[in-house]
Amino acid sequence: MTRSEGRAARIVLDVYIGLFLVYLFAPLVVMSVAAFNAYPYPSVTQWRGFTLEWFPALFRDERLMRGLFNSIVIALGVIALSIPFGLAGALVLHRLQSRAGGLLYAIMVSPVLMPGLIIGLSTLIFWRHFSVPGGLFLAMVAQASFIASYCMLMFLARLERFDLTLEEAALDLGASKFMVMRRILFPYLRPTAITASAIAFLQSFENYNTTVFSIGGDWTLVTEVGSRLRFGLSPVVNVVGVVFVVLTVAVATLYVLLSRRHVASDARAS
Amino acid sequence: MRKLVDAYGAGITTVLLLLVAIWTLGMVIAPQATMLDQSLWSLERGTADLTVEIDRTYNELSTAKYDYEHSKDAEARLALDIRIQGLTQKIAELELKEKRPDKVYGLQNYTRMTDIHLQIFMKTIFYAVMVTLLALVVCYPVAYMAALASSGLRATLLLLALVIPYALNELLRIYAWLMILDYQGVINGVLEWFGVTDLAARRWIPFLESPAAVFMAMVYTYVLFMVFPIYNTLETLDRNQIEAARDLGASVPRIHARVIIPHAKPGIAVGCIMTFMLSAGSYSVPQIMTRGQGGDWFSQLVYRQFFEANNWNIGAAYAFSLLAACMVFVFLVMTVFGIRLKDIAR
Repeated sequence: MTRSEGRAARIVLDVYIGLFLVYLFAPLVVMSVAAFNAYPYPSVTQWRGFTLEWFPALFRDERLMRGLFNSIVIALGVIALSIPFGLAGALVLHRLQSRAGGLLYAIMVSPVLMPGLIIGLSTLIFWRHFSVPGGLFLAMVAQASFIASYCMLMFLARLERFDLTLEEAALDLGASKFMVMRRILFPYLRPTAITASAIAFLQSFENYNTTVFSIGGDWTLVTEVGSRLRFGLSPVVNVVGVVFVVLTVAVATLYVLLSRRHVASDARAS
Repeated sequence: MRKLVDAYGAGITTVLLLLVAIWTLGMVIAPQATMLDQSLWSLERGTADLTVEIDRTYNELSTAKYDYEHSKDAEARLALDIRIQGLTQKIAELELKEKRPDKVYGLQNYTRMTDIHLQIFMKTIFYAVMVTLLALVVCYPVAYMAALASSGLRATLLLLALVIPYALNELLRIYAWLMILDYQGVINGVLEWFGVTDLAARRWIPFLESPAAVFMAMVYTYVLFMVFPIYNTLETLDRNQIEAARDLGASVPRIHARVIIPHAKPGIAVGCIMTFMLSAGSYSVPQIMTRGQGGDWFSQLVYRQFFEANNWNIGAAYAFSLLAACMVFVFLVMTVFGIRLKDIAR
């Protein structure tokens, strides 16, 4: 390949990526800009002047605020369930390298590979046998059943890099197994527990497909936005969108910077 | 089992196994099993035969009562009395059966799927495969670029530009497309400037009424689920391998075919599985893009069986069919790419 050919290929690729990014961001810009349009139907083409009036309307909206509260309650519940389940699953799998381990692994990973509505519905059907109807509790249980899988995978990845000689050394020095766990294993897993909690919170907060099938007559912020999108569009939904976009940009920037620093420090270490 | 006790001690092992059992049995296996069970029975209401039999028994009863009242013979009266009691009980049983229908096990919920529903099922699977293939073609260069062909600040910014829309809530990504294709949306609004449409007169192009609208929003919503699995595997590829292949005279397509794509296989497989699963099972995209009016997507049928028709048995059968389709897809992809379940979730 000659140098000029390489440069031409490079330009084609750059243009392609540029177009792809426009494709990704243009719709989001349209949605965000409409939040500042004085026109009472979300639009960017029928421009009636810049306004901030839809922002206070968001905070006066009781259903959305109630949904936000419900979302946070569910997300905290999901953390409380999925971290212990995920941790226990990873600790068990870490020591089971047999056929049974393979089967258990398949069962624990399967919720990740299932459509969300299946998880929501099967939870709903199962709990009806105990006369528990759809609601915040079932939404939490349904979400936790697959978010625990993500937590398990994160803990397992960390455990696979665990230096077993540390544990042996501690046992040789007379530490009890409980002591080893408390003083060596848990501190080693703590960073993962924090990341996994954050991921679990976000996954739960953002979830729609599982939640809408298991929440019954109750609602979260996201399911409420979902039903607003079907009936009566209003710029208030765009305001929710702007808030989400700002938060997402902040979290994503933080994430990328942290992971890059991690990569850089790994590179220095090696 | 002994390995576990050796590693963690009996007490902790018990706690761990208990937690694992609650999760895997109570929250994964048992719900799936009850859903499968629910899909395998239906309540069969009393048939016409049953009604006829009840009527006939009532006739017999009134005859017996008439005979009883007009009979003088004590022995005959005793026999009739027993007969009346028996008939009364039989009627009660039959009526109970008519009121409380029988639970009949079988495949009827699956085999009774109407042609239209079956068609929607096939269409959903077909569209989901199309979304997956399109996403793969579109995303491979993007993932390649982000993981291997850029460095420094450019690479960081590109990664950030991909993470932001990926992390943004799914509903908002759909809403963005709803705003574009809506009756008073961006495209119709722009066309108005050229006099093609007239929003005040409700003269607009109904993009939302075409299934293509659902398809476009779906591609947009799930396309990035293809980028990140491929990106993650490509990132672990040693760039020196590409250099070496180039130095040895391999052409660009050959480098991709022999070095990069083989390395990215697990990522491509995971990307395909995730994209297919999300699109085939998506409720949000069709529901929002059609404003709950259309019934073009199978997930909407499932929702209606449960929450509108209130027929949980058929709903469970439909949900299980969808799950089976996804399992078949996972299995196919794993076979084609020659990967194991362990490779999937890394």
